[in-house]
Amino acid sequence: MHNLLTTIAAVLLAVAARPAWAGDPEYPVKTIPAALKENAHIVKRLEETTIRINDLTDVRVNRHYVITVLDEAGANYAKLAVSYSKLSEILGISGSLYDAEGKQVKRLKQSDIKDLSAVDDGSLMTDERIKVHQFYYNVYPYTIEYEISERSYSTLSIPTWIPQSNSDCTVEQSTLKVTAPADFTLRFRSYLYNGEPVITTNRDTKTYAWEIKQIKALKPELNAVEFYRRTPAVFLGTTDFELDKYKGNSNSWKGLGTFFYQLNAGRDVLPDAAKAKVHELTDGLHSREEKIKTLYKFMQRNNRYISIQLGIGGWQTFDAASVATKGYGDCKALSNYMMALLKEAGIKSNCVFAKAGENAHTIREDFPSSQFNHAILCVPGEKDTTWLECTDPYLPAGYLGGFTDNRPVLLLDEKDSKLVRTPVYGMDCNQQIRHINATVDSSGNMMLSAIKVTSGLQQDDLRNAIHRLSREKQLEMLRKGLGLSSYDIVDYNYKELETATPAIEEMIKVKGNNYATVTGKRMFITPNIFARDGIKLELDTTRQSDIRLNMAYRDIDSVEIILPVGYKPESVPTPVSLSSKFGNYSASVLLKGNTVTYIRKMERQSGTFPAAEYPELVKFYGGIYRADRNRLVLVKE
Amino acid sequence: MPCNCMRYIPCLLTCVVSGLLSLSALAQENGKIKFGKVSKEEFTDKRFEKDTGAHAIVLSEIGSSAFEADGGDLRLVYKVHRRVKIVDKNGFDVATVRVPLYKGDTREEKLLNLKAAAYNLENGEVVETRMDSKNIFNDKQDKSLLVKKFTLPAVKEGTIIEYAYTVASPFYRYLRSWTFQGEYPRLWSEYSVAIPEYFDYMLIPQGYEKFAIEKKDYSRVTFSFRTERSGAAGPSDMVTVTPGVTTYHWAVKEIPAIHPESFITTVDNYVRKIEFQLSAYNWPNEARKPVQSSWEELMKDLMKTEDLGGVLNNNNGFLSGTVEDLVKGAKTDQEKAQRIYNWVRNNYTCTDHSALWMEKSLKTVFSGKSGNVVEVNVLLTAMLRKAGLKADPVLLSTRDNGYVYQFYPLLTRFNYMVVHLTIGEESHDLDASEPLMGFGKLPPVCYNGAARTIDEFATPVFLNADSLREQKFTSVLLGKIENGAVAGTFMQRPTYFESYDIREQIKAKGRDEYFKKIAKSYTGEIELTSKEIEDIDSLELPVMTKYEFKMQVGGDDIVYINPLMGEAYKSNPFTSMERKFPVEMTGVSDEIYSFNMDVPDGYVVDELPKSAIANFNETEGVFQYMVQQVEDHIQLRCRIKLTKANFMPEDYSGLREFYDLIVKKEAEQIVLKKKK
Repeated sequence: MHNLLTTIAAVLLAVAARPAWAGDPEYPVKTIPAALKENAHIVKRLEETTIRINDLTDVRVNRHYVITVLDEAGANYAKLAVSYSKLSEILGISGSLYDAEGKQVKRLKQSDIKDLSAVDDGSLMTDERIKVHQFYYNVYPYTIEYEISERSYSTLSIPTWIPQSNSDCTVEQSTLKVTAPADFTLRFRSYLYNGEPVITTNRDTKTYAWEIKQIKALKPELNAVEFYRRTPAVFLGTTDFELDKYKGNSNSWKGLGTFFYQLNAGRDVLPDAAKAKVHELTDGLHSREEKIKTLYKFMQRNNRYISIQLGIGGWQTFDAASVATKGYGDCKALSNYMMALLKEAGIKSNCVFAKAGENAHTIREDFPSSQFNHAILCVPGEKDTTWLECTDPYLPAGYLGGFTDNRPVLLLDEKDSKLVRTPVYGMDCNQQIRHINATVDSSGNMMLSAIKVTSGLQQDDLRNAIHRLSREKQLEMLRKGLGLSSYDIVDYNYKELETATPAIEEMIKVKGNNYATVTGKRMFITPNIFARDGIKLELDTTRQSDIRLNMAYRDIDSVEIILPVGYKPESVPTPVSLSSKFGNYSASVLLKGNTVTYIRKMERQSGTFPAAEYPELVKFYGGIYRADRNRLVLVKE
Repeated sequence: MPCNCMRYIPCLLTCVVSGLLSLSALAQENGKIKFGKVSKEEFTDKRFEKDTGAHAIVLSEIGSSAFEADGGDLRLVYKVHRRVKIVDKNGFDVATVRVPLYKGDTREEKLLNLKAAAYNLENGEVVETRMDSKNIFNDKQDKSLLVKKFTLPAVKEGTIIEYAYTVASPFYRYLRSWTFQGEYPRLWSEYSVAIPEYFDYMLIPQGYEKFAIEKKDYSRVTFSFRTERSGAAGPSDMVTVTPGVTTYHWAVKEIPAIHPESFITTVDNYVRKIEFQLSAYNWPNEARKPVQSSWEELMKDLMKTEDLGGVLNNNNGFLSGTVEDLVKGAKTDQEKAQRIYNWVRNNYTCTDHSALWMEKSLKTVFSGKSGNVVEVNVLLTAMLRKAGLKADPVLLSTRDNGYVYQFYPLLTRFNYMVVHLTIGEESHDLDASEPLMGFGKLPPVCYNGAARTIDEFATPVFLNADSLREQKFTSVLLGKIENGAVAGTFMQRPTYFESYDIREQIKAKGRDEYFKKIAKSYTGEIELTSKEIEDIDSLELPVMTKYEFKMQVGGDDIVYINPLMGEAYKSNPFTSMERKFPVEMTGVSDEIYSFNMDVPDGYVVDELPKSAIANFNETEGVFQYMVQQVEDHIQLRCRIKLTKANFMPEDYSGLREFYDLIVKKEAEQIVLKKKK
């Protein structure tokens, strides 16, 4: 009886919620509460997402949403883009456009939907395609309504619910309903959602419902935590899942790791010629480190990154034999091939799935699920573990760089799959030490030579630049990047240093035109020539997000400037010393005879800091900004 | 057409196919390659490797286009054979090849005979790795474009790759062009085109690198057509014809790479290239049928074409109601035009700013409130005409799309449309595709030389950057110094296009953000009050920015003030030491800055910058920096004025020095000292 009642109620609700397609005004703009227009470019009036999991290979997703676009800045969100591939299908798309009063202006015509290739620039080929639609309307505000129904053939990942799609999007109402067979375990992890989903049980299904109303706009915040931790969000998963006939269990990282391990097992068989090559290269070597290094170099020299992801190819690697003959592969294929090379040399290693990116240091560690987009290789050792990034042809063996450093990653193993952490590169590693010798003549022109040694994460970009850019382009980079008003690069040189932490030495000779300003008998000069990197931040008293600083680093500049004779100081900047939770900074100028000595030291910590500390960060950076631009004024005697 | 670029457009007289072409074939015909025959020497060839830092070198590329019989019709057969040496890892991109194939409603292009291989030198021997044909992918971009993609196996630093393919095309109006120059240097690049006497094609060459081969030959070629017997399934007939065929041949040798530069329309304007345009059919026993031969004829054609000018000949009655409502009560023609223009601009979204045809009917565009740049501006034309005004569509090529070839009507060079409105003696150029553009204004990308009106005279409309005056006025007034801070007022009327950017910024992010950005642009600490932007909604005018400020100047005894405030050129816009191509700016700039201050009580002037005047190339540029002190009043007037937008490469170093001087002078300081 109880069941029947709820069913009737659900049916009634569904009827009530169904949009009327003509006649009465729909979603007139005037009914939007004022608070939801503040700082917003779009307002999500209504969103209903229903997910029906029929079995492990049949997930139906229906999304119905209504968005009011308040102004041109929100116009991009009115575009519809739905991707699909061999593992999913779009069953239907419908839509409507309404003007501010809520009068229907247009309905979506199927012939206006474009079906395009979605092969990204980084890939040679994938199955990804995309259907796009746009109403093209520019009388603001206006409202669009879409309903999309899709089918996924896999349960490896279930769509995520984040009603507020962006910081300048506000939400009137959004619901998520997930229906699954009653004996099925639905896992979920929510953020900033108060309460639990409402669960209703029918004879053989169970429905979980989430609902949220009135979400206000968020302000963009510098160095904020991930967006999904700042707004209501629900992530979903199943325990058992299926991906193109392969079955797995994601109740634990171990289960998920084992699945990926097995999906890729047995693909590490090398052709005989490659095996022979491994022995030729490594049999004479004694240490494990030397073998790893030699094989890594060999792999880097003979292969390149080409991404082909067809069908299950996003998760399953090309086999090692095909990489050996073709000389290319994606991150999985190259890591798997490297693993095969090491195996032939008697060294065990594991493929590791990672979420890569300089701003991707976290995953939802308490919610095992497929959160990865990259593969690297881990070579466990008794003393040291060696990490290998197999898609980069320039990295030294064992160094990962900012793309995959300091984060939880999933190690794939036959028996012992688990989350492990990649290495942390600390302040002592990420340094920039620079010595500058400069001479300024009486008209303000400067000749300088500088030697700069950058290491660790601070040299990642530079390493790329010196390998990837022609000398011409490097020069262009130097011409744009030095921050002087007008200058010529007389000479420059880069040298990779043979140090444990990767480091690059840069030598430059620069002719700076009018570096010092000469006005009559005075000369104005900024002794800090290159390191002007403080920023003016705005004071934000309503800061919500914790502050996340990714990289700890240390910069030291020592500058010696020889001035023309006959000047005496009129105004010399006083030494500055700043200290905060975020780091320490000091700068001092000393004038002795006609020689200026300037020393600047900046140490920045990494970590997550409470939002309340933001004013201190503003003050710290503001102080550096000013101190970095302090001028020395001299008068002719 | 401005003459600055003429030097770079070769003085090859352009010729219709039946014209004369000078024969200048050079003896050395290297570059000949045979598929699969790669010699060891090719791995060690050092040409180009040393100084340019090229990541790859095209050892040889040979292309051809010719006609073949295809059943009862002709088809164009385009062949490419390319051999490239990959110098380092950054050249790996050349090992991935994309071949676009076009598809019409009933016919499509086909890729045939694809062969690809990589060669490596191993232990002194050349080892070949062939690509398996399974590795060719079909990436269907949309319904009319398929891209065939493949990547070569066994590619390392030093690998030589080679591929050859044929594209068979039913679209013989589209004779493929050939670009002899690009991102990588080429040792040999060759193209030949064989044209039967049935067609006249215009040859359109550009660029300034010399040809090593440039010749044409005549021969007779046999074509065998199969014709179906009418209605029956019986045996088909063979028809054989032997027309005269002209074969053109061009090649360049050891041509360097070409790289993009700033202050340029597009570097494509300077690349060595040959393009073709079908100009006439000469079918046997028929009179010569010109496709187009003059601008006038092209425009007359377009005036009839339904998906361009043709729609303007219709009554378009569906526009009447709207137009009548819009012009109701308007007193002058100008007011009528303005109302219509504003309405179209405000209500229509431009979906594509590069277009040459209407893709939808005018009625669909009208009711759908969106269209590409041609559709929106054709709609504007139709509505203006409906109101009884004289309006014509004008075709042009935007700056990034390259120059329009003036000597022959080449429709495909155009990619944009605007509207030319004539009211009595006055005329206005209109573009309704940009929501913030004022009546009578065109976006700067349109200023790319002569545009052509779609009228029976193909009237040229000259849109030269040299004619686009971009003026900016700034005035700053400084007041008292109190508690280490100086107060003042700032007023600026930026150039029209700077104003356009400001309007866009404000539309996207709001006024607050805009002023925050201004505050951030000052080095020192500054507080802005009474912030105003005037004329923001008068889209025909530049805006006026006004604010009051309080700026920290520090030091009690001595105060240093840069009179240019935030307006000084802090760095030279011309960063490179040298320049190969002309400098092409978007307009002629004239910036005037005025500064006034009374020496604050209790201070005396210790030092003032000196006045200075500098000229660039006598009259082409002038920089004035005039300082005056009359009693306690300091006045500065600074002006940077150029008289043209385009400069030759040899003017570059002078231009750079001119701006160096400006940067230097504008950094100078006023020094005030406290009275003792």
